[in-house]
Amino acid sequence: MTRWLRKAPVYAVLVLLTLMWLLPVVSSFLVSFKSSEDFVSQTFYQLPTQIYFFKNLVTVIAQYRLLDNLGNSLMYSAAGTVVVIIAASMAGFSIVRLRPKFNFALFLIIYSGTLFPFQMYLIPVYRLFNTLNLYDTRTGMVLIYSAICIPFSLFVYRGFYTTIPREIEEAAKLDGCGPARTFISVFLPQSLAPTAVVALFQATWIWNDLLFGMVLSRAQSVRPIMVAVATMTGYGGGNIPWIMTAVIFTSIPTILLFVVLRKFFIQGMVLSITS
Amino acid sequence: MSYVFILPAFALVVALLVLPMMQNVYYSFFKWDGISPPLFNGLKNYLAMFTDPVIAGSMLNTVIWVVFTLVFPALGGLVVAVFVTGLRGENFFKSVFFIPLTISFVATGIIWTYMLGRELGVLNGVLALLGIPLKPSYLTSVPLNTFSMIFAWTWQQLGTNMVMFLMGLGTIPRDPIEACIIDGANKWQTFVHVKFPMLAPITTVVITMAMVNSFKVFDIIYVMTRGGPYSSSETLAISMFRETFTLFHMGYGAAISVVLSLIVILISAAYIRRMTKRDMLYY
Repeated sequence: MTRWLRKAPVYAVLVLLTLMWLLPVVSSFLVSFKSSEDFVSQTFYQLPTQIYFFKNLVTVIAQYRLLDNLGNSLMYSAAGTVVVIIAASMAGFSIVRLRPKFNFALFLIIYSGTLFPFQMYLIPVYRLFNTLNLYDTRTGMVLIYSAICIPFSLFVYRGFYTTIPREIEEAAKLDGCGPARTFISVFLPQSLAPTAVVALFQATWIWNDLLFGMVLSRAQSVRPIMVAVATMTGYGGGNIPWIMTAVIFTSIPTILLFVVLRKFFIQGMVLSITS
Repeated sequence: MSYVFILPAFALVVALLVLPMMQNVYYSFFKWDGISPPLFNGLKNYLAMFTDPVIAGSMLNTVIWVVFTLVFPALGGLVVAVFVTGLRGENFFKSVFFIPLTISFVATGIIWTYMLGRELGVLNGVLALLGIPLKPSYLTSVPLNTFSMIFAWTWQQLGTNMVMFLMGLGTIPRDPIEACIIDGANKWQTFVHVKFPMLAPITTVVITMAMVNSFKVFDIIYVMTRGGPYSSSETLAISMFRETFTLFHMGYGAAISVVLSLIVILISAAYIRRMTKRDMLYY
């Protein structure tokens, strides 16, 4: 009893915090289920007079053509992540095991890509894309997303490959495997964990990007999803039930990815911060 | 052969990140609207920043962001991690703080724009329920708008820091703590003298990341206020964007981004040095 009493203030604070953390989630869901009329005439905690979520969804998809943007972002996340997995795992293998001259310098050059704020690249990349006709193209978007994601991914693979025992590799060498064979048949099959970390973090990052999408794209057929959602708000705040429906709908893919790859999240956090 | 393996990653990063970065420094010495040929004007862009009242306000806001990010999400993460450990319902509380991590900054910004709405927002609705006759306009009055957005940021970021501190607390060995308890130290003393010092590596990372990330905040401010009203809630990252892509002061925008980057690098210098030193040992 006394032990419980001592803990009471801690619980009180935690419950209060929990309410503060859950209130936005619950109210957002509630709003997305309301019609515009309900939203204006009710207070925030009242239940909608009719379930309007799917109607909101249909309206939003039709009015803002969100499926185009959704398709774009799906493509960027998938293509960008695949490019990054290939490029970063190869580079990580080379730096750790093939040990070219200046391998540490090469690593630092690539790694320097994560240190600076993105604002540092915006103007030159915008200009470069304009001269190369990559501005407002899907190819351009995949290229910049891949480049941004490579430093962290390389770090993940490099860290992981240092833990693979050398004996395995020596054995492969004795069997007459060249570097390409060793990489494909020895390293790649063991790379599930770092690949899951990279896929989770980078696909989510690409999906959630706003800045590069705004600067490097203009057409509906190229603009990524978060830019479309962010511009729905405008200055006046827009139609809240519609926007909230769009927010929930477009968050589903990353939430699903998160749920599926949950156990790699902590691993990725460890890597990204002890790095 | 070994270079062939590095080439794709290296080429992408150098072409799209490293070279542009250098070019950006070069542009910062020019007056340039993006269309007509750039005019060299030396350090004028940098000097202009010191007399620009908007940039001064934006600097002040950036400092507010940094300080309060250290107080709320960072220190808050530590406090929650310490108190939640070993508590009944630990996993429930942890997953509550985890939820915001799964959605984007854009989503967070929109959710909190709704929460903080003046007429139909949830927060003012709660105030009305409690009978408090206040109706603050969270996103248009200065400096309340900056603090409101820091609150939204805290909602999203606290979980990250909590996870890191939980990880750190998990690695602390039992022996020294038990020794403390035998010596008659209370919980607070154990924490201050044993646990907190042993958390130092994680604390450094959290503090560095918290500071660096608050310099980089863009999405939340862009969604919630666009930096307004009248640039009153801008930070350097937002000012750079406005100068560059709304006003087409490309040279000036480049200069702002160079200053922003210098500050970020300066803050993370100690951390980067430690990291490279440890890595050098491996090589």
